[in-house]
Amino acid sequence: MTAPVFAVVGHPNKGKSSIVATLSQNDAIAIALEPGTTRQRQEYPLTVDGKTLYTLVDTPGFQRPRRALEWLEAHSIAASDRAETVQAFIVQHRGDNGFTDECELLTPLTEGAGIIYVVDGSVPYSAQHEAEMTILRWTGRPSLALINSIGDDDYSDTWAQALGQFFQVVRKFNAVSAPFEQHLSLLRAFGQLEPEWEQPLEQATAFLQAQRRQRRAQAAALIARTLEDMMSFREKRTLTSLQTSELSDEELARQLRTSWYDNQRKREQHLRIAIERLYEHHRVERQEAELEWHSEHDLFSEDSRKAWGVNRRYLATAGFGAGAVGGAGVDAVALGHSLGAGALVGGLIGAAGSYFYGDRLTLPVLNTGVLTNGLRTATFGPVQDSQFGYVVLGRAINHWWHISHRNHAGRELLDLAPADNHWLEHLDRANRQIIHRALERCRKQRALDDKTRMALTAAIEQAMGAYDDWRLNRT
Amino acid sequence: MQDSAIRRLLEFDSQVQRDSDQSPAFLHRRDRRFALDCRDRGLSPAPELWLEHVRRLRPPLPTRNPLRRWRQLTTGFALVGLMTGFMAMLGLLFYDGGQRINLTVILAFVMLQCLLAAITTVQAFAGWQPWQWLLRKLDRSSSAGPLRPLQPMLMARAAHTGGLMLGLAGLLTLLVLVVVQDLAFGWSTTLDTGSGSYYQLLATLATPWQNLWPAAFPDRELVDATRFFRSGAENAQDPALWGRWWPFVAMIWVTYVILPRLVLLMLASIHTGMRARRELARHPGMIALQYRMETPALDTGNLHNDAADQPDTNTAGQPQPLPAGQVLICWAGAGEPELPDTLATGYSSILAAGGNVSLEHDNHVIQNARQVLAANPSPAALIVTRSWEPPTGELADFLREARASWPPTTLIALVPMAAEPEQLPPHHQVNQWLRFADRTGDSRIVVSTPDMASPEARIHRALQDEHRP
Repeated sequence: MTAPVFAVVGHPNKGKSSIVATLSQNDAIAIALEPGTTRQRQEYPLTVDGKTLYTLVDTPGFQRPRRALEWLEAHSIAASDRAETVQAFIVQHRGDNGFTDECELLTPLTEGAGIIYVVDGSVPYSAQHEAEMTILRWTGRPSLALINSIGDDDYSDTWAQALGQFFQVVRKFNAVSAPFEQHLSLLRAFGQLEPEWEQPLEQATAFLQAQRRQRRAQAAALIARTLEDMMSFREKRTLTSLQTSELSDEELARQLRTSWYDNQRKREQHLRIAIERLYEHHRVERQEAELEWHSEHDLFSEDSRKAWGVNRRYLATAGFGAGAVGGAGVDAVALGHSLGAGALVGGLIGAAGSYFYGDRLTLPVLNTGVLTNGLRTATFGPVQDSQFGYVVLGRAINHWWHISHRNHAGRELLDLAPADNHWLEHLDRANRQIIHRALERCRKQRALDDKTRMALTAAIEQAMGAYDDWRLNRT
Repeated sequence: MQDSAIRRLLEFDSQVQRDSDQSPAFLHRRDRRFALDCRDRGLSPAPELWLEHVRRLRPPLPTRNPLRRWRQLTTGFALVGLMTGFMAMLGLLFYDGGQRINLTVILAFVMLQCLLAAITTVQAFAGWQPWQWLLRKLDRSSSAGPLRPLQPMLMARAAHTGGLMLGLAGLLTLLVLVVVQDLAFGWSTTLDTGSGSYYQLLATLATPWQNLWPAAFPDRELVDATRFFRSGAENAQDPALWGRWWPFVAMIWVTYVILPRLVLLMLASIHTGMRARRELARHPGMIALQYRMETPALDTGNLHNDAADQPDTNTAGQPQPLPAGQVLICWAGAGEPELPDTLATGYSSILAAGGNVSLEHDNHVIQNARQVLAANPSPAALIVTRSWEPPTGELADFLREARASWPPTTLIALVPMAAEPEQLPPHHQVNQWLRFADRTGDSRIVVSTPDMASPEARIHRALQDEHRP
């Protein structure tokens, strides 16, 4: 069985390429508010292990529908020969400059493609496109009308009513803002056009869902790795005795601190790009790259801290859990003779420590070693504040959320505005403690083992879920 | 030394580290492709095969073997074991002719060795690493990496190798001394024990080789005859009896020092291999690899890239003032249901073309307009369009045909109108009409965007109408 093909057709500049870009997760398709941006048809097959499940075809818009229809009507005797006449039209006008776009968009239809007719629901309904719709009807192919919205106004109901007279199915779909579930729902609607298309489209949506789940897990692993790297990062410099004498401690600290901050920012940017690539976003322009953003929402600014850090109560709770686990070890050694006092005392110490010291933005410490063989080593870091980890985590998850909810037709600037709520408090206690313990471990320069790393990744994935729920007001 | 499982773990971990900067989509394609190839060949995509596949396709890597450090450590332990074994046996068999070599001391040393071997193994199985600080001092990287969970086993293996070497060196030293010296063994203890119970102890210990080498099994007479006391005068007994103990000593050394170490060394090796296999199976990279191999690779059709092929949206054209026209044509439904007065005032008939009307009707419109325009010394036609609808080939055709039919001096003004006629169309919509006018290459086709809400425009138009011939 050949895989279904869907030709996305319509009047010029109605967002056909945007629909294809979003459904094929391709942000490299030229999209512009200019008629004629798409000059040739382009196929976008969805393949699984090299086997095509369906193909979307982006096409140029109708340029001379009345002239084409006039030709068709002049060459047809009965309704039964209409599809054949459309085919003859293509053969007749191939290479003819006047009907280049019509030939490009009708070719896939004569080869068996389904019709996805796109209109812009943000402009008033017009009955002036009937020639286009009549030509499409002449092809005899199953059809679906899609009401896209390019602008802010909404005339989609009028469009839906009118299009219902010409098309089997009419759906509203905003290529820029439709959530992922709507992508799947639309693909399933494509599958409803022909009975034999249902199965491949069902398979495709199942694979897309699995891919999305996997991407989330991979994003969590990327964030966990970055968190570990950033929390344990140390800037190191070896100085000769001459350099040591020329450089004051203050100047050395300043240089190391600047370099440390630069590296941390670079590492964060590296994570951003990795997550964007994971979701096939290769051309995202972020607000944070701007200087203005740096001054307002910089990683180390107090604003970031207020937005993404956690409060003392949160720290104390997480600290109690982490301390209790340590204290439980004492109970275990005492074979339970301590009646759980170890866990209690450990928990209280952990909570008190986190409460009193965890909320201070302690700057990373400068360490200068002793002069050995004429050389002296100076290090700066790692950061001595677990809040730093929460700031990095919050910002990373915020970025992930925006990217995972961004459609590939979106070309607008990604504005990573900070949140105004301590969303992490929606995460369950066990996962909070896992994150807290891992951050503390990194801070103390103790390497994470694979088990802890996997637990941290799983906890971050849960945190991503909590953030998603909070963002979508599900909590 | 069977290290293939450890090598596999190290190679796998190193490959995972190398892959960490690769895009997940690429890794998925690579590994799924491998799994599909394996399926086609009827093979199971095991980690060994995967590593071989990856190894085959990459250039040889510079060799950095983390096991070398452990091999050096094991060699160190072995050398120390040899030295210690030699020295220990020399010490145990020290005999200056004036006193006996006390079997009890040898037994105590052998039992100590047994105990140490057992502790080493228990420690490895329990995962205790009391010596870890030493390792960390020797090599800072030891606290991380895939070998970390194997450290207790590797350490046990090194320790047992040392212990085995100690045993072998001790045995060799014993045999050499037996040949070159006349050793006099006896037994002595401060404890109030009779030769009967001492015999029982020795007989129990010698049970394993009782049938294998009867000469090495102690007999009661020998035990009775070789007890000595520090201040005793038993030298009068048969001196040959003192030397008859050496086979027993050799066998107790072999059985309780060498054999346990040998068995535990093998056990440590097997344990290390098993643990390495377990670590490989539990490696986060392995879980991800299995997922990639099992899950079909999905390509959503995102390979095509024409992002750089954007149309040129720059235009030098500017909207021109609305000319005093004699013909007004509404293109493709523009102006429906009603044209604003600003535009409609002064026109006796408003023509409609494009959209749903036929091409034949378009031709009539052109001809009708021609008659009006031809009678005017400064002919001008207004074509009102919907600003949001892009200019199409049909409009270009209409203009071309009109230009061919109308007087050559006719000024054609395209008037894109917003959805709300009282408002000016947005900038980006006007621009597409300006570019369209540019593309026609006709300097007498212009774009006008009059302010429909302004009464001035209407007055201006009315004045123009008054002066119209």
